[in-house]
Amino acid sequence: MNAGTYPARNLFRRRGRTILTLAVVAVVVLIFNLLRTVDHGWKVGAEEAAKDRLATRHKVSITMQLPKRYIDDLRDPNKIKGIKAATWANWFGAKDPRERTPFFAGFAADHHSWFDVMDEMKVDPAALEAWKQTRDGAILGDVLAKTLGVKVGDNLVIASDIYPGEWKFKVVGIYTPLRKTVDRNSMVFRWDYLNDDPRASFSKEQIGWVMSRIDDPSKSAEISRAIDKMFDERDDQTVTMSERAFQLSFLGGFGAILSAFDLVSIVILLIMMMILANTVAMSVRERAHEYGVLRAIGFSPRYVFAFIVGEATLIALLGGLTGALLTMLLINGALGPMMEENMGAFFPYFRTPMSVIGLSLAGAVVIGVISGLAPAIGAARRKVTDALRRVD
Amino acid sequence: MVPIRYNVRSLLVRKVTTIATAGGIALVVFVFAAARMLGEGAERAMTSSGRDDNVIILRKGADAELSSGVGNDYKKLGDRPEVAQVGGVGAIGEIVIVITAELADGSGGLSNVLVRGMPAEGIAFRPEVKIVSGRAPKPGTNEVIVGRAISGRFKGVGPNQSFELRRNRPLQVVGEFAAAGSSYESEVWGDLDVIRKYLGRESVVSSVRVRLTDPSKFEAYRMAVEGDKVFSVKVMRERDYYQKQAEGTSQFLTITGTIIAILFSIAAMLGAAITMNGAVANRSKEIGTLRALGFSRLAILTSFVLESMILAVGGGIIGLGFVMLLTMVSFPVMNFQTFSEIIIGFQATPGIVVGALIFSAAMGLLGGLTPAIRASRVSPIEAMRA
Repeated sequence: MNAGTYPARNLFRRRGRTILTLAVVAVVVLIFNLLRTVDHGWKVGAEEAAKDRLATRHKVSITMQLPKRYIDDLRDPNKIKGIKAATWANWFGAKDPRERTPFFAGFAADHHSWFDVMDEMKVDPAALEAWKQTRDGAILGDVLAKTLGVKVGDNLVIASDIYPGEWKFKVVGIYTPLRKTVDRNSMVFRWDYLNDDPRASFSKEQIGWVMSRIDDPSKSAEISRAIDKMFDERDDQTVTMSERAFQLSFLGGFGAILSAFDLVSIVILLIMMMILANTVAMSVRERAHEYGVLRAIGFSPRYVFAFIVGEATLIALLGGLTGALLTMLLINGALGPMMEENMGAFFPYFRTPMSVIGLSLAGAVVIGVISGLAPAIGAARRKVTDALRRVD
Repeated sequence: MVPIRYNVRSLLVRKVTTIATAGGIALVVFVFAAARMLGEGAERAMTSSGRDDNVIILRKGADAELSSGVGNDYKKLGDRPEVAQVGGVGAIGEIVIVITAELADGSGGLSNVLVRGMPAEGIAFRPEVKIVSGRAPKPGTNEVIVGRAISGRFKGVGPNQSFELRRNRPLQVVGEFAAAGSSYESEVWGDLDVIRKYLGRESVVSSVRVRLTDPSKFEAYRMAVEGDKVFSVKVMRERDYYQKQAEGTSQFLTITGTIIAILFSIAAMLGAAITMNGAVANRSKEIGTLRALGFSRLAILTSFVLESMILAVGGGIIGLGFVMLLTMVSFPVMNFQTFSEIIIGFQATPGIVVGALIFSAAMGLLGGLTPAIRASRVSPIEAMRA
């Protein structure tokens, strides 16, 4: 008999209790993983976003636009070195008048350059050609097309947050994602179609933001500074940043909620610690007599200590593994794909990474050890005679 | 029925176990109540910006001031018999933009701040607004005042500081204002014409507000204005407008919080079940004695369910005690309609307190039910012989 077999044999002596405790640990690990996945899904864009792409927008406000001629300055290799291609878009903020979907990203973009720069959105060359021929042509993400029930060749009527009235489009193509962080729930149409419409006269010859592709990703900070410096003396100053930082600037206020999530994921670990410590304490109390016997037949206090901590750790580890399995099944197998389809604008990628699963397992084991400590020290210190005499 | 004192004493005897289990439930209730208090705080801050006799007019199709635009002929919207003249003016046109500001805490984080340009009468139009430090801005200048909730939170947006709207066009902060805890306290207010000129948007306002002579005149006014072909606008009661604005944010907070709390409560219920199972196992002799004394199976069942509920509600009360401390702090949340931050307080209501207690009692009931059934099945003869 050693410090390994004794806890293992004891594990299922109180089968009901052990199973319940395993369930607690498994559920806690699952919740912890879910919370961390939200956080990870939020930040993953930064790692997955194209490193060779920069976004330039108005320095003061996300609602203010830039003069269209800025694009010519950006594309001029005599003014800025290192930019391979640049394209632009305007926010349209699409709403479906028939309310099949509450809201999706709609924007007007330059039809000559948009898909060259945004090359993770894959469009059929024929569809791209059709787009260039069709003034009111629109290209939709595959998920959005499914939600709206439209296919290539159909007409589509969309309303906007910003521009009055209803806007008619012809679906000329569907894009599919080449990278997991692509929002498949958006729609892009031609900038000139918007710009020439009298309803958009207040933003005539203005562009929302510029996306540039650069030669050398390691120079992105340098190029960003050069771009902003070029426009610094103009009326409308710019701020250039990574693509993900740009996306997040619309949702900056969301950050505080995520820090609340950080706190909440610590709270759930505390709950687990309390419940686990309670289980261990209950078992130790019941077996006080038995530990007395072990000591009486010659096991040193160190053994008693190791038996108790070992058992707590074993429960935590088994529960943690169950939780990890549940995470794979429920989050990565069911919830993740659902989130990506319905909330792609916020969470284009919603899966628990192995690093988070590893962290939760490590957390469970550490908490197992901690919750075993206090009862184990108590039991190891108890005098043999007291332990043998104790009846409760 | 078994006296409740029996249960209370049993709980007190198992101190460590009781504290651990109640502590777990306290944490769950804390999270549950905190999320709902935040949702309530957001709703209250946003809806208290609105008044029943005020009307807000936006471009038809726009959902929020930020995306709306009404032409300069808006002043005619105030020339109607239903409209009260405030300071000699009927229609208050305002411009609303959000600006990107860097947090002043040095983290480099960015967030969005709402800036509102209003005519001189704009402040008088909102009697709840009080200047709490500095002074009111001079009309027609680049002076602005900042709401006290966000004062000093962002670089340049604090007393005696300035920030630029465009190159060499700074806004100078000359004072701080309070607005009875409403979301106005998370805004910056300046002069309508100066801000419009800085933005190059002299010909439009974002929204128009009018005060009705009586709230009951709303329908008459709405029909008249929406029916007027000159304007293509939407007329809403200000209170309804803010109610709708608040919906997204407060629903998001409440739903997220409730989902988390329900998941957490599974763990806490299992914890209660472990504790009660242990109690039943240790006390089988006692239970047998009670049965032998003539207490029915039902009485035993009720007794153990009650014990579990007392344990859980005790934990719930501890959790509520701690959550009340949160009413002293404020928290930034995002207004989904404007992309800007509003700073809100945690708001406790009787409904939330009662809800949290019911929630903890339910955890105790569900967690304690199976062990209690087991207890009621204890055979008196076997238990006493063991």
